Amino acid sequence: MEINKLDAIPPGWSYNPASWGQRLPIVGFALVGLAIATYLALFQLHVFDTVWEPFFGGDSRKILTSATSKILPIPDAALGAIGYFVDALAGIIGGIRRWRTMPWIVIVFGLAVGPLGFISVLLVVLQPVLYDAWCTLCLCSAAVSVIMIGPAMDEMLASLQYMKRAKDANISTWKVFWGYKEVQGKVL
Amino acid sequence: MASSAILGYASAKTIPDNEHIVGPIIATFAIISWWEATRVLRLYNVPLAVWLLLAPWVLGYDHSLATANSMIVGALVLGLSFVKGKIEDSYGGGWASLLKSDSVHAKEAQKRGKR
Repeated sequence: MEINKLDAIPPGWSYNPASWGQRLPIVGFALVGLAIATYLALFQLHVFDTVWEPFFGGDSRKILTSATSKILPIPDAALGAIGYFVDALAGIIGGIRRWRTMPWIVIVFGLAVGPLGFISVLLVVLQPVLYDAWCTLCLCSAAVSVIMIGPAMDEMLASLQYMKRAKDANISTWKVFWGYKEVQGKVL
Repeated sequence: MASSAILGYASAKTIPDNEHIVGPIIATFAIISWWEATRVLRLYNVPLAVWLLLAPWVLGYDHSLATANSMIVGALVLGLSFVKGKIEDSYGGGWASLLKSDSVHAKEAQKRGKR
């Protein structure tokens, strides 16, 4: 590793969780999720008349037109697409030191990835329990969102540890969180 | 998740429902545990595994194949949840470090500051 990148590794860590090698795969998964969710949302918005379902016959249609899918003003897949878009955006913004230069984006990233994954799992549970049906692409989307949780959390841990060190040094958590210039470099 | 359809007790309502709820949650915690920084989530599967061992009696399963399935899967998940696996990287003291001041990352940051 180049010398100028060594300071990007959080203290006490063996690697930098904010490096591109760590982040880009998650962004890639988010884009896959975005593509799936967008396709499903377009079906729910009647842009497509049919939905691709290789295993469970009419089940996908049943799930995607269910009462649960219409619980909010916009179709649930559209909400999922927005979630994946936020994930991808929050994954790409900032440099390789963002765990300390802009903790807010790392926290937004973690919060976007975590709950989105858990909502996906809830929807997976509801498919067989409420509707006795399975939707292949919905399951794929859920798998994608669950796979993203683990790799996003290490970066959040690095940011939280940094904010903890700043707090112990009596530096304003608010300023540290938003990455104010005046607090940069005060704590490593 | 699929056992009721495969083992042929999909028509019983309580058993498949229980499995359809517990299955995805166990899978989720297991997948999140693939990564070292979140390996601790494997332990969240311990209570779920214990529930699988108890469920046939608590819910009164009337299907022996379903009972056997629940016991075997429960025992496997319980046993495998305690396998920590290799931790090859270091994480500044991990999640527990957020609650103490004298942590690995704090000490290391001080050392670096003096250089």
